[in-house]
Amino acid sequence: MADLLTVTGVIKHYGGIIALSDANLCARAGEVHALLGENGAGKSTLIQILSGAVRADGGAITLEGADYHPRNPVAAQRSGVSAVFQELSLIPDLTVEQNIWFRREPLSVFGTVRSGELRKATTNLLEEFGFPGLRPSQEVRRLTLAERQIVEVAKALARDPKVLILDEATSALAAKETEWLLGLARRFAKAGRLVIYISHRLAEVRQIADRVTVLRNGATVAAYETKAVDDETIITDMLGRRMDRLFPERHATAGNRVALQVRGLTVGHRLVGVDFDLKEGEVLGVGGLQGHGQWELFQSLYGIGSCKGAIELLGRPVAITSPRKALAGQNGMALVPEDRRNHGLLLTKSVRENLTLSVVSRFTRFGLTDAKRERALVDEMITSLKIKVGSPEQIAGTLSGGNQQKVIFGKMLLTDARVLLLYDPTRGIDVGTKGEIFQLMRDLAAKGYAILFYSSDPPELVHVADRILVLRNGRRAAILEGDDRTEREILRAAMIETQGAA
Amino acid sequence: MTTAAENAQVAKSPSNGGGELKNWLLDRAPFLVACVMLCALVAVYGVLRDGVFSLAELNIDTAAALTLLLAATGQTIVLLRGGIDLSIGGVISLGTVLAATQMGDNPWSATFWVLLVLAAGALVGFVNGVLITVLKLQPFLVTLATWSILSGAALIVLPTDGGALPTAWMAFGNATWLGLSSSVWLLAGLICFWLWFRRSRLGVAIRATGSNERSAFLSGVSPLWINVATYGLSGLFAALAALYLTTQTGAGSPTIGKDYILPSVTAAVIGGLSLFGGRGGLIGTTIGAFILTIIGNLVFVLRVSSYWQPIVSGVILLIAVLASSTAEKSARNSLT
Amino acid sequence: MNLLRNRAIVLAYVGMAVLLALTSIASPGFLAVSHLRSLVVLAAFIGIVALGQTFVIIAGGIDLSVPWVLNCAAVLMTVAAKGQDQPLFWIVPLLLIAGALTGAVNGIGVAMFGVPPIIMTLAMNVILQGGILVYTGGAPPATSPPAIQYLAVGRFAGIPVILILWLVLTALATLLLSKTAFGRYVYAVGTSATVSEFSGVPVRQTIVLVYTLSGFTAALAGMLLTGYTGQAYLGMGDPYLFTSIAAVAIGGASILGGSGHYIGTIAGAFVLTILTGLLPALNLSNGALLIVYGLVILVTVSLSSEAVPTIAAWSGEYFRTAKSLSMRSDHDPN
Repeated sequence: MADLLTVTGVIKHYGGIIALSDANLCARAGEVHALLGENGAGKSTLIQILSGAVRADGGAITLEGADYHPRNPVAAQRSGVSAVFQELSLIPDLTVEQNIWFRREPLSVFGTVRSGELRKATTNLLEEFGFPGLRPSQEVRRLTLAERQIVEVAKALARDPKVLILDEATSALAAKETEWLLGLARRFAKAGRLVIYISHRLAEVRQIADRVTVLRNGATVAAYETKAVDDETIITDMLGRRMDRLFPERHATAGNRVALQVRGLTVGHRLVGVDFDLKEGEVLGVGGLQGHGQWELFQSLYGIGSCKGAIELLGRPVAITSPRKALAGQNGMALVPEDRRNHGLLLTKSVRENLTLSVVSRFTRFGLTDAKRERALVDEMITSLKIKVGSPEQIAGTLSGGNQQKVIFGKMLLTDARVLLLYDPTRGIDVGTKGEIFQLMRDLAAKGYAILFYSSDPPELVHVADRILVLRNGRRAAILEGDDRTEREILRAAMIETQGAA
Repeated sequence: MTTAAENAQVAKSPSNGGGELKNWLLDRAPFLVACVMLCALVAVYGVLRDGVFSLAELNIDTAAALTLLLAATGQTIVLLRGGIDLSIGGVISLGTVLAATQMGDNPWSATFWVLLVLAAGALVGFVNGVLITVLKLQPFLVTLATWSILSGAALIVLPTDGGALPTAWMAFGNATWLGLSSSVWLLAGLICFWLWFRRSRLGVAIRATGSNERSAFLSGVSPLWINVATYGLSGLFAALAALYLTTQTGAGSPTIGKDYILPSVTAAVIGGLSLFGGRGGLIGTTIGAFILTIIGNLVFVLRVSSYWQPIVSGVILLIAVLASSTAEKSARNSLT
Repeated sequence: MNLLRNRAIVLAYVGMAVLLALTSIASPGFLAVSHLRSLVVLAAFIGIVALGQTFVIIAGGIDLSVPWVLNCAAVLMTVAAKGQDQPLFWIVPLLLIAGALTGAVNGIGVAMFGVPPIIMTLAMNVILQGGILVYTGGAPPATSPPAIQYLAVGRFAGIPVILILWLVLTALATLLLSKTAFGRYVYAVGTSATVSEFSGVPVRQTIVLVYTLSGFTAALAGMLLTGYTGQAYLGMGDPYLFTSIAAVAIGGASILGGSGHYIGTIAGAFVLTILTGLLPALNLSNGALLIVYGLVILVTVSLSSEAVPTIAAWSGEYFRTAKSLSMRSDHDPN
């Protein structure tokens, strides 16, 4: 069978950064084709090119034999390529059906939307693909993240695409919905279309993909029939030979003092009755499927949003009602958030201003700031974290993701906090910087810092954390130590109900 | 990258039936509060002054409210988009002075000038939209500047209040048909327009862009066209407001426009419109405009200093906004 | 952002100098010392009101209550002092505190209750207007005491007292913005309140404080203005809404917050004052002046926004938007 979609030698760069140097893909109609690669390998860039969000700088793409160069997402959709991204593009104040048919509503002769037809089309679509529990008239802003993800899928399907791209579409979904989506992908492919499936979960890939293409460092390194290749080979392809150098040596650095004691932490029904102890010098990993209470855990420890439960820092009960309170005092808690742009950095301000934002009082005398002392702090942090900047006055928004993350680390390390809350700190960062950050974490632990570390990438937890707390549906499902620290065990605890658990 | 932020804001478990009614009510809370307020005000007014539930009263009140309402219609559309239009003050001033000085007694010239004023209003909006999109400037500043320019133009055309309008034009202002004044019929027309507009693709697109600009643009909404349409409509309605005003006052005024800018926002917000964009409608704005008008009436009837009117309006505005922001917060934290 | 800020402020001063040159050509007597002196005095009033407005705008808000805070302070001062100097000792501090408290209420509404700044300060403005009108019955109040008049129009060693006052305030404002923690917080909150919150910045206190400051400077300006004109009259504050915002915008601050400086606002105040001076100089009517105001605002904010590089790259605009909106905000495969 001829290829439906071919990608040959596609190149893409952003300024000096090469996102894709040689991307290749051959996919046929009637198959589910998985695209694998770690974060930063170029998967997202390739998908964005295919979906029309971004234009390639070189190379060739053909769709059904003809040249394919969509100028924007709408053009791509008209050509028959629909993508479902992890970052949603829904309109919160519109209803489910309004979102699905946005800009393509059936119109009456007066130019108004024909709501009867709209409803019919929506129910037909939902029924045809067996969409679980969606009501067309619901406002999207009232939907859960998982439900919104499903609406995105409906929106893509409504365009009757020849190529359906699912980018980590199951990351927000629970088990039942995941099964449904996987089944949907298979059926859609069987009906003669092409599904391009991106996921970190090899199990899912094995379940539905006919073939896989592996990207590494912006280039395609391998393509296989799924049946003909084993996980080890895939992982080796994804990581190259640098897997051993990615993770640092792990020494037992945990002390005896409990830095952070949490009992009965509860946030609505998203986090229920979580208990754990975090010792000084320890890296406690937090795992589980995305959206199972991890962010609520970190948020409430940092004073964002309200929570119930008892928190003790170094034996002293504390009531943390704001980040300012969390950071305060000699034994504060600092958070390095996942969302660099909206939570972590003032992108239009300099590196210096960002680094010192939380500790301005440290270089203030008689109310006035001392530029020299500030500079000293800044230089110290830039050097010790090896932040690559031309000068401290460089605007933070111009730094690479890895360096931006280091600036955020630096900001928090300048405070007196000895408990670090790291929420997916290596997400979207190049491999090199990732390694540096893992090393930094272990070094800090050796110095006595207590680190709570969430990663959406289980191998990171397995190799960097001393113990792993797994959350499932907002509850503590397991604490894994020693030989139990494996991806398999994390996944098991995250997905499988044990007796007695709700 | 807002997944975490979205996580922070989105409910975790599926919505259920019982909660849906509650959500529906919460979503519309500001609007419902406005309805209740209007009923209360009308009731009080009715107690103080007989004949309030008569047709004559409806005619009078609608005539009093309609200029503001027309201005507020355009502003509603702009606010739904998530912007703001200060230039309507200039359009209204310029519109009244052009009408008062140029219309003359000849029905042809009068018609011509009516059309010209309307076109000018739309053109101003067009320019606003282009400047906002192409120069990437904040709507507040752009419309502040165009307001200034138009006010200046109005002062040049007619330095002080004056001018005159054709008697036929004035007669329209007082005309009745089937017992209802022209203003009531215009109100009906306005409502019809709205019912059409909000179901049109443009109306949905404007609301969508105000709700989440990024998603709307990704879905193919053109930034330039949406802004041009939004502000163009606002300018058009401001011009309509100017023309209607002249049927009531019979004169042009180069400074009258500024009295309508902030009240147009007030009427919309009182009626439940969210200043973040994406939520609200003309029905609410109409209620808001009538609330403001009835307050004025009450102040008069109670023989209290008319200076109480802005105070009451200000307080009601604050109450409305607080109600609206509480409703917003509930939407974010729903089901906790 | 430092660079951009400097560029905008430099532009503002260049603009001011150009304007000065142009008007002195158009009207020869313009550069006379006495004329310049009155120019500076007039600019001082805008500058003082715009001081508070600068802080509020940099912090990401806006203060629309300035006109009637100003007016209330003016009226209450003349009514309470009844033309005597003595009572000023307690009246002036009291009214300054009252102005500050009004600002604090604005700030609390914005920071604690989430009321959008436009609405909060607008409502406050309207309530104050109604309040003072009810209180005075609409009648113009008494004349101002001589001491205030001295402050406003008097001279000390040949220099207008108000200029000295303005210089002191300028020094304080510059110090606050550039060299205190509070200044850092103002810029941070205006850039991103969320990031500031996450970084432990006292966001709410900062917001309340900037509005408090704005109420303070508006009240101060009101009392000084009364000295200048000799009496308080209703509506005297209205022109200062437009001019305070315009001065800040012309001075290079982004209306969204996070950038700008009071030094720039000063240039903005001068630009506006010179333009007003053009009125008699060029025989421009009031109307023409308003048109000029509007154009000046458009031109200056366009220049200091990203307009120029944007227009140049308009054809690629969509893809730049797409790129900056891309899911993973970084693409760094190395």
